[in-house]
Amino acid sequence: MDHKVGVFICHCGGNISDVLDIEKIKESIGDVDVIEEYENLCSINGSKIIRDKIINENLDRVVIAACSPESHEKTFQEYVKPLNPYLMDMVNLREQCSWVHSQTSDSFNQKATDKAVNLINASIEKLKVSEAVDPILIQTTESAAVIGGGIAGMSAALSLAKQGIHVYLIEETPSIGGHMAKIGKVFSPVKIAEECGLCLLNPVLNEVVWNDNIEILTSSKLIKAERRAGSFNLLVEKKPRYVDTDKCISCGDCVEVCSQEIPNDWNDNLSYRKAIYKSFSQCYPDTYVIDIDNCDQCGDCKRTCRMNAISFRQESEMIPLEVGSVIVSTGHKLFNPDLRPEYGYSRYDDVITQSELGRILGVNGPTKGKLQCLSNGKVPKRVVMIQCVGSRDIKPDGHKYCSKVCCMVALKNANIIKHKYPDTDIVLCYTDIRTPGMFEKYFKHAQSDGVRLMRGRPGEVVKKDGNLIVRVEDTLTRKFKEIKSDMVVLSTAIEPSEGTKEVAKILNVSQTEDAFIKEPSPKIKPVMTDVRGVFVAGTAQNPKDITDSILQATASASKVSELINDGIDIEPFIATVDNELCDLCEECVKICKYKAASVKDEEIYIDPMTCSGCGKCIAVCPNNAVQINGNIEDKISATIKGILKGKKPGERRIIAFLDDVGYTSADNIGVNRLTYPESIHIIKVISVNRVLPKHIIYALENGADGIFIGEYPGDVMYDEVENKIDKIKGEISDNNIDPERLTFSKVYIPYFTGLARKFTEFDNRIAEIDELAK
Amino acid sequence: MKNVPDKNILLFKSCLVSVEYPGIESSTKYVFDKIGVDYHVDRAQTCCTGLGHYSDVFDQFSTTVNGARHFALANKLNRPNMVMMCATCYAINKKVANILNNNEEVRDEVNQVFDDCGYDWMKFNKGDLDSRENIFHIIDIFYSKRKEIAKNIKYDFSDFNIATHHGCHYCKVHYGDTIEGIRNPHIIDDVVNACGVETIGWYDFKRTTCGSGFSQRFVHKKHSLTVTLDKLKSLKENKTNILIHLCPNCHVQFDRYQTYVGDKIGEEFNIVHLNIAQFLALAMGADPYDVVGIQTHTVPVEPILKDLKPLSKDNKDEIIEKVSYKVDLDESEDFNMEADTVKVEVNETN
Repeated sequence: MDHKVGVFICHCGGNISDVLDIEKIKESIGDVDVIEEYENLCSINGSKIIRDKIINENLDRVVIAACSPESHEKTFQEYVKPLNPYLMDMVNLREQCSWVHSQTSDSFNQKATDKAVNLINASIEKLKVSEAVDPILIQTTESAAVIGGGIAGMSAALSLAKQGIHVYLIEETPSIGGHMAKIGKVFSPVKIAEECGLCLLNPVLNEVVWNDNIEILTSSKLIKAERRAGSFNLLVEKKPRYVDTDKCISCGDCVEVCSQEIPNDWNDNLSYRKAIYKSFSQCYPDTYVIDIDNCDQCGDCKRTCRMNAISFRQESEMIPLEVGSVIVSTGHKLFNPDLRPEYGYSRYDDVITQSELGRILGVNGPTKGKLQCLSNGKVPKRVVMIQCVGSRDIKPDGHKYCSKVCCMVALKNANIIKHKYPDTDIVLCYTDIRTPGMFEKYFKHAQSDGVRLMRGRPGEVVKKDGNLIVRVEDTLTRKFKEIKSDMVVLSTAIEPSEGTKEVAKILNVSQTEDAFIKEPSPKIKPVMTDVRGVFVAGTAQNPKDITDSILQATASASKVSELINDGIDIEPFIATVDNELCDLCEECVKICKYKAASVKDEEIYIDPMTCSGCGKCIAVCPNNAVQINGNIEDKISATIKGILKGKKPGERRIIAFLDDVGYTSADNIGVNRLTYPESIHIIKVISVNRVLPKHIIYALENGADGIFIGEYPGDVMYDEVENKIDKIKGEISDNNIDPERLTFSKVYIPYFTGLARKFTEFDNRIAEIDELAK
Repeated sequence: MKNVPDKNILLFKSCLVSVEYPGIESSTKYVFDKIGVDYHVDRAQTCCTGLGHYSDVFDQFSTTVNGARHFALANKLNRPNMVMMCATCYAINKKVANILNNNEEVRDEVNQVFDDCGYDWMKFNKGDLDSRENIFHIIDIFYSKRKEIAKNIKYDFSDFNIATHHGCHYCKVHYGDTIEGIRNPHIIDDVVNACGVETIGWYDFKRTTCGSGFSQRFVHKKHSLTVTLDKLKSLKENKTNILIHLCPNCHVQFDRYQTYVGDKIGEEFNIVHLNIAQFLALAMGADPYDVVGIQTHTVPVEPILKDLKPLSKDNKDEIIEKVSYKVDLDESEDFNMEADTVKVEVNETN
């Protein structure tokens, strides 16, 4: 089919026209319907020229030879309307031509001008095979699921609800509240005081409970999750409470008659509760619940209940939910102190964790807030705290990271003890005290309260003559010390909860090497995960304090809101499956590194939000049922053909295939006015994986002197491509071409000087090969 | 548990064993024969350099060349599973294997030495012998054969208070390879359990070094012996009769110096020191002199033997049953742990 092609060349106010001979370019391009030049195509006047020509001359393909598409592609896609945006192509005459090939004295740069012609020809050839494609706009469902009802989850749910988004708050235990409900006092850096945690939590909890946009699902667990474009289909299992929340009036008569005594996990097992219980007095739902695993179903409670609220016949309920986004706020657990047997946690009653000390100091705890040794009920004369138990620990089972909050937690508990029991001596054995920002003031406050500090990580805790002995080297004085103590408190590391690991698996979200939820770019994309629409908040992401958890929760709620209000614009060049040809062998599902392919309703489903268009699935499909929209392979072939058009004897043309990152890096070379040889012709590709051996061999056989492939090593396809290169080199040799004419390189956006140098080196290398070939 | 071999074993002789307590080697052979382990001791073997290396006499390169020669020997004999009686041989050879496999430069230099001497067959190629797959301590073999050990027990040690001392060079150098406890080493305790005896378990200073520190015993004698004394005192507090070792150097430190340090502070310890192989051999009914070689010990072993009772058939059956139950349970737990590791790896590649 014949197309009407128009070429528009921009002077860019001299940026382009001072170096390139525009007249010569116009003469050299044959066989197009319109060639126009203008000093600033991106201006309003420029838009008029383009639009008039398109309408008057019936153009159906438009080449804009101007700056980098990175700067103005969106502008020109707008200017060519009503032409389909993908029937316009930009030639980068500025960043990748005039700016990198310097002006030779007063005259134009001839070689660069020739290169400009090649690039424009390439664009024309590419457009000839291009087809109109529509961008995909995805709208997400206006609801969200928040998994985990701790402070992070509650804050996220509340923020979403206040923005008018319907939220399901899913909590595994019988009550929302999380760790914050049980830590007793919390530290406040500004006030230099400890505040009641539950008093701060209660208003939040109440707001969550009263907000009509929040549906709270307690005793509930995520069982399954499926992704479909803008939404997630979740399956939640709600376990029975055996107590009807509508009927129970929380009188507590049932507790009186229950004969089962079970360690109370809410009090870190330091006290006992009954099999029918409420985890804490302000819990929600504010009704009793039966711990069925520890219940002998004697029926005493049922007979006592005046409201007839108890029934043993309740069963688990499966609740399907459809939501637009998911926030993972599944929290943490604490390092198992038995993994450091030298501290004797299981051997000695008075070796406890900071969490247990928090319960002991809590007025709603096992001792009603009275500090006492668990072995004899006496107030300890000396307490030794050991920091970094399981944190900053490179030994087996330890965590290399710092748990971030333990210094403050230890100082807080030390201060509380000092205020109530000024005679109790406190020695804090630390690795380094980490109290950044305002927390430093709190640290000084603890020191002035008389909390003693010793820099050293204790080696052992032993019992001698009824006393605990902490053996430690004071690393500041290099003296070995044995500290006699009545109580030893271990600051155990924060590690991801089992729930965090389970949910990550169900939602197919990647985890860090420490099994926390992984952010694809922790620096610039916090709260995101590698699954679009899934966000993370709180200690599920890494150790942090309450304030940071709330900040993250609110940030992730904003991200959910962005998705709902703005929708998601997706490049249409993604995989499609012809169901007539597909026999559901699932090879594509297995090979997809982006996890975009899955089986839904007996068909292969490609999630448009996840597919990158890398084309890996095309290669493995035995029935050729997979295609990528926008015939990219043909476009690459056409572009190569265009670049190599009219090659003169003795001339050197090298094609560089670069991915997004490489292309931006190449633009940076121009922006910084570095140079590389005119022989380098850059082609931008969605994924380097789409450049096939046949493209490379075709190029080399039809005049290309060298092929340079650049890919960002952070791309999930990187290893794949790197491995493929050797194979392709073999194929090149089979075609009697020197395999050295192909090179593969890592590219990074900031490393543009390196890329310029690599271009130059490769050009030299090709020149040597040409010399040898003669 | 990792895969511990029982065939194609080259039992690696130890200088300290041969010179100080030859009964450890004969006991090991005695026990290996009983529990069905295929081994061979070779005349062409030399010292691992360990003692000299840690006393700054041999550098790492000489040690590496020497190690490479032993690996070549093991492969030539088709006995690539090298099993050590000494914790230092264990740590030294593992380190050498890691260097030879991972450091190309050193490997080339070592091979150049062999080239220059005309010993082509000794050259090391990457992967010829793997630290984790091929180098073991006798305790690993005993541990993997707990069921067989239980079946061969003839004497009852359960009336004695038995403590264990795990050598640093077994537990603390290549702890990625150590089985059954790094922070809380208990592999010897588990093997002793297989004889129907409960050890005293954890005691103060259980994880501490014996104090020898190779040259430290001589250049910082007081410091070295203070460490030994700390441990002896704690053992005495726990009323220990027998301390079981897996390293001949620790064995020397305690057995040879116990009376010496006791005299210095005017205290008697009366703790008998046995290598785990010697202990097993005695429990299996080996001759105390011809096999176990107790005549080479400084602290007399005879008082223990005097009180030793034969094991009744009923007790033996009970032990066998208990040990098989425990071994099977451990193995099923290991299986679960393996599944966990795989899961983590999958996550990392995501």
